[in-house]
Amino acid sequence: MATVKVSEAEKVYILHGIRDDLRVDGRSCEDYRHMEVETDVVSNTDGSARVSLGHTAVLVGIKAEIGKPRPLVPDEGYLEFFVDCSANATPEFEGRGGEELGIELSNTLYRVFNNKSSVDLQSLCISAGEHCWVLYVDVLLLQCDGNLYDAISVAIKAALFNTKIPRVHVSSDEEGGKEVELSDDPFDCVRLNVESVPCIVTLCKVGHRHVVDATLQEKACSVASLIIAVTHRGTVTCAKKVGGGSLDPESVFEMTEAGKRVGKALHAPLMKLLQQEESLGKKRQKVGFLG
Amino acid sequence: MPTDTRRIRGPEVSQSPSLFQCGPAVVPPSHGARADGRQRDQVDVRPVFVRCGLVSQAKGSAYIEAGDTKLLCSVYGPKETERKDETDMKCGRLTTDMRFAPFSCPERGSWIQGSQSKSFSLMLQESLQPALCLHKYPRSQIEVNVMVLENSGSVQAHAITCASLALADAGIEMYDLVLGCSIRQDGSSYVVDPTYLEENNWSSSEHQGGLTVAFLPSLNQVSGLQSDGEMTEETLSAGIRTCIEGCYKLYPVIQQALVKAVRRAAPPPPES
Repeated sequence: MATVKVSEAEKVYILHGIRDDLRVDGRSCEDYRHMEVETDVVSNTDGSARVSLGHTAVLVGIKAEIGKPRPLVPDEGYLEFFVDCSANATPEFEGRGGEELGIELSNTLYRVFNNKSSVDLQSLCISAGEHCWVLYVDVLLLQCDGNLYDAISVAIKAALFNTKIPRVHVSSDEEGGKEVELSDDPFDCVRLNVESVPCIVTLCKVGHRHVVDATLQEKACSVASLIIAVTHRGTVTCAKKVGGGSLDPESVFEMTEAGKRVGKALHAPLMKLLQQEESLGKKRQKVGFLG
Repeated sequence: MPTDTRRIRGPEVSQSPSLFQCGPAVVPPSHGARADGRQRDQVDVRPVFVRCGLVSQAKGSAYIEAGDTKLLCSVYGPKETERKDETDMKCGRLTTDMRFAPFSCPERGSWIQGSQSKSFSLMLQESLQPALCLHKYPRSQIEVNVMVLENSGSVQAHAITCASLALADAGIEMYDLVLGCSIRQDGSSYVVDPTYLEENNWSSSEHQGGLTVAFLPSLNQVSGLQSDGEMTEETLSAGIRTCIEGCYKLYPVIQQALVKAVRRAAPPPPES
């Protein structure tokens, strides 16, 4: 992760402030920074979204391809995640520098979506055992200012909402084999139900309290963080401790409870925003990357 | 999944015969007793056999057997670190590597996917780091290598225990031993220290998931936590408490094994 060097005096300043529920930029311990979400930014993809959370910027593109289903689950499609830490974010990511972070982020995403209800995989099946939709979710990190997991999960949810999978129908040809045909109308497509897609909340333990949406400076003052992925109903799909420090069991319980509360509250405004953006249709003002 | 480009797998033309099974796979029951006679909804961990000092070349090593799960861990170091420019001059570095033997799981080679093995190694590193006094080994590197010989469930938890035992056997200074315990939540009941079948059984119940916790018993600190599947937050907290209890149950056995190993290695008392 991109790191900043923080002096001892700065650490004490941040610690004392958080102890009194006042962070450096004036937020309280459970407030997010200003978040901007925009979908349909890349026209070559089947679904895309751009999220900027403070100075962190993430771009997600989803492409749907037809592939063979996994042998153990022939009636389901699947998702493949790939996180690319671009060298734009920090010079540390140049060449293969960002590979380790990218692999860690993709592994966590696999774990978060590794359950039956996040995405309805059976709707991605075309013909059992032979054809299914594979959704390649590619995440690009453009700017790194802490709290990557949260920004990535919000962007994935928005991009999945925006994804338009072309409608196909299977017909059998003369020899009895199956043929997959795309419908002629380019706007005839299937949308995904993203109600149950979880959002990730990262809680950093700083001193005796925890903070949500930590900046890089606050991260440098914490020894351990807890990542928790929460759905709109409050179920936890993944919990993971990161960082080289240890946590008291009482803090863990406190943090999971706070994470669940914050995560649950994130879904309703996000869905409202996405539906509002969708309903504007052609009249929507595209902000893009220079707004 | 991103594959490991450095390790060459065989060609993908062969498949495991279990895919061609006629009837439905045997599904372990979600109520009543477990297949190996242990109780569900109780902290019933498998009896564990541990031995230190098996690998003569390594500074420290440990072997653990729990049911059919077999793991071997060896520790090398502290040795001078190769990349001096990145080293933090004030404290040492811990590198972990956790690998599965190709024959360890029912399906051959299913774990040799570089990124998955990386996530195990990362959790191992994050769980062990708080327990080590790395500030006592500046400019040095400590290598921990875990090899899974047979995977019969809760491999991550036993790897953590085995690795901390090997570190203690190597004489690395530590604040406390790190013990691991895992549970599998299935609907409203849970099973502690699940076997491979219990872990990979995706039944149709609403809330099911797995949870692994790494715990320092004397200091009462959680050094590692990983969960997947879906659970409510109350179930997650209850699961963490259960895992902590499981770690306390395992603690005396591990302490005994360490004491035995030290006694064996110590010179006999002088005849006076």
